[in-house]
Amino acid sequence: MKDRDPFYYILQPDFVLMNRRVYKQTLVARPSYTLEIQRKEWMHMTNNHVQTEPLKDKLEDNLNKIRNELGGSDDIIIREIGFGKDRIAHAAVIYTDGLADTKLITDFILDSQTQGNHAEEIDHATDEDNLLDALKSLALNLGDHKEITDFAGLYSNLLSGNTVLLLDGFARGIAAGTQGWKGRSVSEPVAQSVVRGPQEGFTETLRTNTSMVRRKIKDPNLWLETMQIGKVTKTDVAIMYIKGIVNDKIVEEVRARLGRIDIDGILESGYIEELIQDEAYSPFPTVSNTERPDSVAAELLEGRVAILVDGTPFVLIVPTLFISFFQTAEDYYQRADISTLLRIIRFISLFIAMVGPALYIAITTFHQELLPTQLLISLAAQREGVPFPAFIEALMMEVTFEVLREAGIRMPRPIGQAVSIVGTLVIGQAAVEAGIVSASMVIVVSITAISSFVITGYSMAISIRMIRFVIMGLAAAFGIFGIVVAMIALVLHLCSLRSFGIPFMSPFAPFIPADHKDTIFRFPHWAQSTRPRLINQKNTTRELMSRPTKPEK
Amino acid sequence: MTSNAKISIRQFSVLIMFYTIGTTILVIPSSLAADAKQNAWIAAIAGWLLGLLIVAVYMVLGKLFPHMNIIQYLAHVLGKWFGKLIALGLIFFSFIGAATVIFYMGNFMTTQVMPETPIEAFIVLFASLIVLGLRLGLEVLARTAEILFPWFVILFVILALFLIPEIELEKIMPITEFGIKPIMKGAVSYASYSSLPLIVFFMIYPASLNRNKEAGKAFFIGTFLGGIFVIIVTFLSISILGVDFTERNMYPSYALGKQIIIGNFIQRVEILIAGIWFMTIFFKSALYAYSFVTGLAQIFECKDYRPLVLPSGMILAAYSLIVYPDVVYMMDFDTTVYIPFSLVFGLLLPLMLLGAGILHKRMIK
Repeated sequence: MKDRDPFYYILQPDFVLMNRRVYKQTLVARPSYTLEIQRKEWMHMTNNHVQTEPLKDKLEDNLNKIRNELGGSDDIIIREIGFGKDRIAHAAVIYTDGLADTKLITDFILDSQTQGNHAEEIDHATDEDNLLDALKSLALNLGDHKEITDFAGLYSNLLSGNTVLLLDGFARGIAAGTQGWKGRSVSEPVAQSVVRGPQEGFTETLRTNTSMVRRKIKDPNLWLETMQIGKVTKTDVAIMYIKGIVNDKIVEEVRARLGRIDIDGILESGYIEELIQDEAYSPFPTVSNTERPDSVAAELLEGRVAILVDGTPFVLIVPTLFISFFQTAEDYYQRADISTLLRIIRFISLFIAMVGPALYIAITTFHQELLPTQLLISLAAQREGVPFPAFIEALMMEVTFEVLREAGIRMPRPIGQAVSIVGTLVIGQAAVEAGIVSASMVIVVSITAISSFVITGYSMAISIRMIRFVIMGLAAAFGIFGIVVAMIALVLHLCSLRSFGIPFMSPFAPFIPADHKDTIFRFPHWAQSTRPRLINQKNTTRELMSRPTKPEK
Repeated sequence: MTSNAKISIRQFSVLIMFYTIGTTILVIPSSLAADAKQNAWIAAIAGWLLGLLIVAVYMVLGKLFPHMNIIQYLAHVLGKWFGKLIALGLIFFSFIGAATVIFYMGNFMTTQVMPETPIEAFIVLFASLIVLGLRLGLEVLARTAEILFPWFVILFVILALFLIPEIELEKIMPITEFGIKPIMKGAVSYASYSSLPLIVFFMIYPASLNRNKEAGKAFFIGTFLGGIFVIIVTFLSISILGVDFTERNMYPSYALGKQIIIGNFIQRVEILIAGIWFMTIFFKSALYAYSFVTGLAQIFECKDYRPLVLPSGMILAAYSLIVYPDVVYMMDFDTTVYIPFSLVFGLLLPLMLLGAGILHKRMIK
């Protein structure tokens, strides 16, 4: 009997046979409050002291403890096997269903039962260490393995998709990399699409993301460091940089700032961004994000550091300059002259998005003389029936637009159409016909809205949206003087920002002529001979090539 | 307390340039026209040359103490107590300067642009901007100047280009009708407006610059460029508005903006052009206030000047409302009292300090 049935040792009363190979732990129905209490205890444990209780000798004790502490969770699979000749070695395979690659594990179990080549070895295993080594070599066809000695290591491996092997009589175990879960496949980036350029975007899986960057930069100097952040979520956070190009001090600073994070959970890179940025109180983002592997590769080549967070396709880039929010990946794939033109258009859009409505308010309220007489007459005629001052008019329209935009984003897709119909009808025409706002105001608001879409850095665009209202208020009270004061204050604030020690407004202020090859102008690639100066001063030469020459006749 | 803020040579030149232009661009054509009539632009050139001469003295003085600011140097050369006494006089000069400049801004806005808004509103807003700038520090101010510099140049070029068609050269004839004396008088008044107040830069120069050796050159270049802008505006005022109008108008350069008419759709852009002096006046008042606040912190040996910024800003805002009881007083003060006042601090003090410094060096040897 023992010889014929490979699963003899697993047939414990606690287990129910689910199919020929997989046994699931029975779920004992418990009152939910016990689960709640257990969860609290677990939180308490993980929050206050890292659980470093060592593993026990007896397999049964270990398994019971695991079952207890994981609250008998259904997706934790524990399978006990015996292997070796006569199945003398008693072991347990523990993994999380859904996170671990089940096929790999079943293959491993099958191997352990059928393959005899290690059997003799185990027979001779009088020394205890040899038995563990035998198990290790058996587990070779699983992923990379490391030894674990305590429960903290066991849990973190188990819950991140690795498989834990425990052997009876050993206070040590093996964690084998079997991560493999259903993730979203690589698809087009949603927020940063391009006409020309790679059409792949990051996914939610950290490993896929790092591999996508590796595929772009095949250099041994591309280094990757991974750490776990979040006491409860234990999220994998990786920093990537090119050794030799990056400024070591910045890497050090990134490491230090990430190390300082003490939080229960990291669910998106936005958490990290807020926790590591230089200036806590600023409407402007000093950390940028991208979901494009080619952008990340380009930034790494400029000497920046990428921070990849498991569970989100948005990768953080530090240090970030103001100008980064006006550069797109496509700028570098298109011809240089057209890219320059597009950048200038983006800056004009920034200006319109920020002060468009404010200028309208200031001019119609205080500086009518600026307008040509005929335009002034037609404006006055339009505003004749409008009972509100220009500021209130503008405020109403801007707020309505922001509401519409928010509705458009949050709504389920099919209803979105309804929003746009209502929006165009109500705002576009009815409001003007009803005499609530003037037609020219509608034009101003529309231009402002469209301009704000042009700014490529989404996080920059949303801060501009916010600042717009402040400038509108100042324009309503002080006219152009208010706008100029607001602009000076804004520039003062922008100049005071730093991103990981690098002045945010560089290379404009401090002015660095050499770095203007890729700011407002995008020089052709053959002319971009150096990397940005402030980010790294060591390895600044990017390429040594002169202008392409015509063939000699 | 010397903050280890370091600014670059380029930033320093831009700051000097903004400071030289400051309120000068707004008021000097009128006061030059009062003295030198149609030769006001020659007076401006003469004043500019005089200013460069003064800067040359400053450069020599700066070489004496490359790692100190003026308050430290005063204490070093004249002794702790006497040095501090003179330093108090100097920061009083900065204080008066800052208050008057803020008043200029408010007065300009209420008389020319928005007559119904009370002057307090402008002054409080402007003073808050200065407080913001000072709290952020010298480095940030310098970087801001660097960013705003192209905007300033663009606006100025627009002004100058659009006005070229309006120039009537007969208005500046005959040249040197009244001899050289009124021109010299105008030159002195130009220097007292734009060059002598440069003494407040000794709070920055040369200790807070990253390359001390080239600092003198930057000082010179800033004054040189700033003067050219003022000369152009003076020339335009005289040749377009005429002597009489320039003389009677308090802000002739603003009136210049009203003259622009291009193709029936660009017209009356004076308020956009006024953006030029919103910027320059901001830097002038901020630098005056910086010199006042850092000087004060140094005299009383505070570790950091920042806690003094907000109270000083409030005092400045309040004081700028009463520094001139009315505009008549302002014009009287500017033409009679201010010139000797600025001569004492802008020329006499550095000359004295130069003498004392050289003596001090000899005595040590």
